[in-house]
Parts: sequence; structure tokens; C-alpha cells
Amino acid sequence: MIDRPSRIGRAMVLFAHPCPESFSAALHTRVVETLSARDCEVDDCDLNAEKFSPILTAAERRGYHDEETNTAAVAAYVDRLRAADALVMVFPVWNFGYPAILKGFFDRVFLPGVSFRLVGGRVTPNLTHIRRLVAVTTYGATRFRAVLAGDPPRRSVTRVLRHVCRPERTRYLALYDMNHASDAARGAFLDHVERKLEAL
Amino acid sequence: MRALVVYCHPRPESYTAAVRDTVIARLDASGAETRLLDLYARDFKPCLDAAEHERYENTAANRQGITRDADSLQWCDTLIFVYPTWWYGMPAMLKGWLDRVLVPGVAFLMPDGEQSNIRPNLTHVRRLGVFTTCGASWWLTRLIGAPGRRTILRGVRLLCARRCRTAFAAHYLMDSSTSVSRARHLEAVAARTDRLIGASRSAQPVTT
Repeated sequence: MIDRPSRIGRAMVLFAHPCPESFSAALHTRVVETLSARDCEVDDCDLNAEKFSPILTAAERRGYHDEETNTAAVAAYVDRLRAADALVMVFPVWNFGYPAILKGFFDRVFLPGVSFRLVGGRVTPNLTHIRRLVAVTTYGATRFRAVLAGDPPRRSVTRVLRHVCRPERTRYLALYDMNHASDAARGAFLDHVERKLEAL
Repeated sequence: MRALVVYCHPRPESYTAAVRDTVIARLDASGAETRLLDLYARDFKPCLDAAEHERYENTAANRQGITRDADSLQWCDTLIFVYPTWWYGMPAMLKGWLDRVLVPGVAFLMPDGEQSNIRPNLTHVRRLGVFTTCGASWWLTRLIGAPGRRTILRGVRLLCARRCRTAFAAHYLMDSSTSVSRARHLEAVAARTDRLIGASRSAQPVTT
């Protein structure tokens, strides 16, 4: 019975596209609907709508390693992250990376004492309550071109984030070559995402 | 030679500032014309917003708000990034610079009736450099696959001249760095900058 999807209590959905009419927004809607239908509590975090600032300031940088005080500027986001047992990100790949607003979420919220602890100089994962890690994304580039570039966003999720979360399941769901994707291909990808989340 | 240095660090007193100064000193010594973009000092806005996304593909309008950056990008033949590596990538501020400035008509050309693929438009850039610092070790960075390095040295490079020369130097394990390791790394930065721009290691300024 190991493969049967277990209940996800609370999922934090990080959405990072500025336009409500975008295909990313359609993916975001489908993700939230599918998770809600699974009886999962969804913490829907639309970074642009919430006007999240991705800029790590000089003051934050100076206090970065002080675990007593370093969460002050982003306390609400830290609480939301700590309450989640699934992290689902919906974002477009821009220039072979996360949009800045999402990269800044990691810069500012994934702090020492939050996402990792330094134990004897070694980084120890500290988001192990996140049992499911999912990325739903789109590329303008073809898969071939992305592989040529070493597919940095895929590594950022499946290696970097997986390292600090150590989830039971990680899913990286990507639609490449968006500039040529037909309505049928987009529709099929929406359904694919829904099925993967149902089985998560 | 026309060099554009894109620098990104929030603290003016940081070691990354010393790396920047080393790079610029070598560029000056070689006689290169240099422009510096200091993103934090300029309060650069890194988020591509809905209005910008709307006009993203409209090459007649998509330089609004980033004219100075786009002009510098088209002016340079040498492009150098100096930044700290956070979470194996560049700071959001610098990623946002790529998101907002590398627009169609500046950095690349969108597919049209004749061409079905994205085509590079930074083919005047013949040298691309990355100088950074990492908290992680060399081997862990390699194991993760160095996504930040790849975003620039492979992703951005796809938009540059076909035989674009590259340079990379990182000081790893920054949290246990010493004044000796930091000084030694600055020497490596100077040497790799010289190699990138084809300058000799002699103290004589090279005239071009």
C-alpha cells in the first residue's frame, strides 16, 4: 500500500507569474483546484499579488546568520512554510532560472534555522516536514536547448530544494517549447499536472 | 574593448566589492572602456511586472524602464557578472536584471514567419565572465550542478557570439575563508580577468 497517495494536510502553493491571463495562471488555478479536491488545506501564495519583495537587504544580509532575529523581516512567510507538509511551486522559467520574485523567496525566507542548520560547519536539512515537493513549470526553450544549458531550474528543484526538504516524493512537471505549444498540448499538460497531483 | 560589469551585492563593505574592484582594476590596466552597473546602489527593481510582460515581445516598447541597461548591453563586447552565490544561484536582484533586460530585440530575436527558433542577438559579446563566492564547497557545488553558473555561462552564452570566450572564478567555503584565502582568490580573479581580456600579466598597461 506504499504507493497509495497519503493525505496531504497542508500545501503551500508558491505562484510566481505576474499576469492573471497567462498559461502559468491556468496551471496555478488547476493546481489549487486539484489539491483542494483532495481535501488538502491550500495556502495559496501568489507572490506578485502579495507584493513580495525578493530583495535581500544589506541589514538582512548582516543579520543573516543570527537565528534569533533573522526571520524578523519575513516572519509570516516563515510561519506559512513551517506549517506546510507539501510545497508546490508554479512558475515560468525565464532565462533558464526562476523568476526573480521566486528566487528572492529562497534568498530571504530559506534562512539558517529555517531551511537548514549549521551543525559543526555542515549544512543539515531543516525542512523535513515537507513530504511532497512539486514544481509545475513552462519553458520557452525546447527540451534540447534546456539540456544544452544544463537545465539549471530543474537542478535548483531536484537537487537544491530536495536536499533541504528530503521529501518522500519530488515531481518536476515541465512543458518545454511554449512558443510552439498548441492549445491541445497545453490542455494535455494541464491534465497531466492534475493526474500527478491526484496521485501525489 | 568595451566592458560592462554587472555588480550585485547589498553590502558596500563586502568581499564581493573587493572582487569587483580587482576586475575593474585589470580592465583599466588593459585600457578597456568600462561601465559599471551596481544594481543595489541603483535600487534596481527586479520584478518583471504585468505591464512589462504585456509589452515583452513588442520591440518598439519593451525597453521602457531599462533603456540604460539595454544600451550598455548592446554597447559592450565583454560582459562580466560579479555577485555572491545564494542557494546555488545568483541573487534575486541579479536574476531580475536578466528577466527585465534580456528582452526580445535586445538579447534575442523571437521566432517569426521565417525563423522558427529563438535567435541570439548578443553576438557582439565575445567575452563573458562570472566572478562569485559560494558558501558551499567546490565538490558540493559540482554535485548540485552549479545552476547559477550554468544560467550565465550556458544560458546567457547561447545568446552571445558563437566563439564567445568565458571565464569563471569562485571562492568556495566563504564562511571559513581566511584573509590569506581571500587575498589569494583576488589574485586568481586578476589572472582570470587578464586571460579573459587577453591582457599580458606584466604591469605595463596594454594599449589596444
